[in-house]
Amino acid sequence: MAMDPEEVEFLAEKKLVSIIPTFNSNVIHLISGDIGPFRASLPVNVPLWIAVNLKQQQKCKIQPPDWMDVDRLQELKEEEKMSRTFIKMPSEHYMIEAKLLLGCASDDIPRADEIRTVIKDIWDIRMSKIRSSVDVLVKGAGTYAAVDNLTLMEINSIRPLLPHALDQLYRMRKTRKSAGTQSQNSSTFLSMNVNSKNTPSKS
Amino acid sequence: MEDSINVEDFDSLGNEENEETEEVPLTAAEVIELMEEAWRNEKFAPDILPNKSEVVDCLLGQISYMEENLRNLKTADFQKSIHQLEVDRLRFLVSSYLRQRLQKIEAYTFIILRQEEQRLEQNEELYLTNNELEFARSYKESIEQHFDDILSFWPGVILVINSHIERTNEQTIVFERVKDIVNFVKMNLGQVETVQILRTIFQHLVLYFVIDATLKENVISL
Repeated sequence: MAMDPEEVEFLAEKKLVSIIPTFNSNVIHLISGDIGPFRASLPVNVPLWIAVNLKQQQKCKIQPPDWMDVDRLQELKEEEKMSRTFIKMPSEHYMIEAKLLLGCASDDIPRADEIRTVIKDIWDIRMSKIRSSVDVLVKGAGTYAAVDNLTLMEINSIRPLLPHALDQLYRMRKTRKSAGTQSQNSSTFLSMNVNSKNTPSKS
Repeated sequence: MEDSINVEDFDSLGNEENEETEEVPLTAAEVIELMEEAWRNEKFAPDILPNKSEVVDCLLGQISYMEENLRNLKTADFQKSIHQLEVDRLRFLVSSYLRQRLQKIEAYTFIILRQEEQRLEQNEELYLTNNELEFARSYKESIEQHFDDILSFWPGVILVINSHIERTNEQTIVFERVKDIVNFVKMNLGQVETVQILRTIFQHLVLYFVIDATLKENVISL
C-alpha cells in the first residue's frame, strides 16, 4: 500500500505560498477556507495549487519560500553530507514545492537552475542514506534505521518495498527455524500458528 | 458574495449511533482535514478501516452545494475556475478514498466478510457501510459463481481450486503480513524495549501493529 507520487503531491499542494497578484479581486470563499482579497502588487498567501493555477494564467508572480535560496540550500547540503542521520528539511514537502514552483515560475525565482541542482543533490544524498539504512536493516546487521525527519515523499519511496522484504526474510527465517534450532522467546505476538511449539525460554 | 458557504449548515455530522454524544460543529475546512486523514490512513493501512461515511457524506454535501452555486456564476468569471478546480480536487479525494476501500474489499473479500460477520455477532460497530457490505457480498457470490461455472467443466480439479481460494484469502491478507513484521522485529530485538524502539526507529515502518487499535480509534494517523 503506497501512494503514487502524484498523490503525495496532491497533499503537498495545500501548503501556502506567497504570491503577488496582478489583478484585483474580493475574498474568494472556497470550501477549504477563504483566500484573498487580492490587490495588485500586494503579497498574499494562497495554497500552492492556486498559486500554480494563477501563475499559469499569468495572473501573479510567485515569491519563493525563504528556504529556496542557493546559499541556504548549499548549507543544508553540506550539513546533510556531514550528518549520519537525516537532517530536518525546511519544508515537509521540499521536493514537491521545488518541483512545482521551479516548473511553473522559474522566471520568478532567482538562480532557479542552481536551486534545482542543489535540491536534486540533497535528494540524492538522502536517498542513498535511505538505501544504505535499508540495506543494513535487511541484512539484519542492525535494527537501527533512523527515519526521523524523512519527508512523506521519501518515506513513500521505500514504503511498499521494505515491509515486503522484511516479510520475506521473516518467512525464510521461520522455515529455517522450524527445521531446527529454536532460540527465540515466543511472545504473545509470536504464538498463533507460527511457533506455538516453542516453549518460552528464560532470558 | 452569493457563492459563499454557510458552514454552519453542515454541522450535522454524525449518524444515528452517536446521536447521544455531544456533536461538535466542524467547519468545512476541518471536514476536509478529516477526509484527507481518512484517505491517508486507508491508503497506508493494510486492512480495511472503520468507514468514515459521515465525513464522506458531509463533504459530498459541500461539493454539491458548491456546484449548485457555480451554476449561477458566469463562465467567464475568473473565480469560477478556482472554485471549479477546488471542487474537482475534493471530488478526487473522496473518490480515491472510496476506490481504495473497494479495492481492499475485492482483494480480501472473504476475510473482510468473515470479520464483519464476527463484528455483527458481537454487536460491535461495523467497518463497512451498507453499500460496501452489499458490494462485498455480491462480489463474493460472483466469485463463487464463477468458480462453480468454470469448475463444472473441469471435474478433476474441483478440490484443488476450492482449497486454493480459501488459502489465498487467508494467506495474502496483508494484516497477516504486518503481524509477521512485528514477529520479525520481535525476534531480533529483546522483548522489553521493543515497543519503545519501534516507536522511535521504525516509526513509519512497523508502527502498524503497535497502533492498529489506536488507529481505528482515531488517536493517531499513518
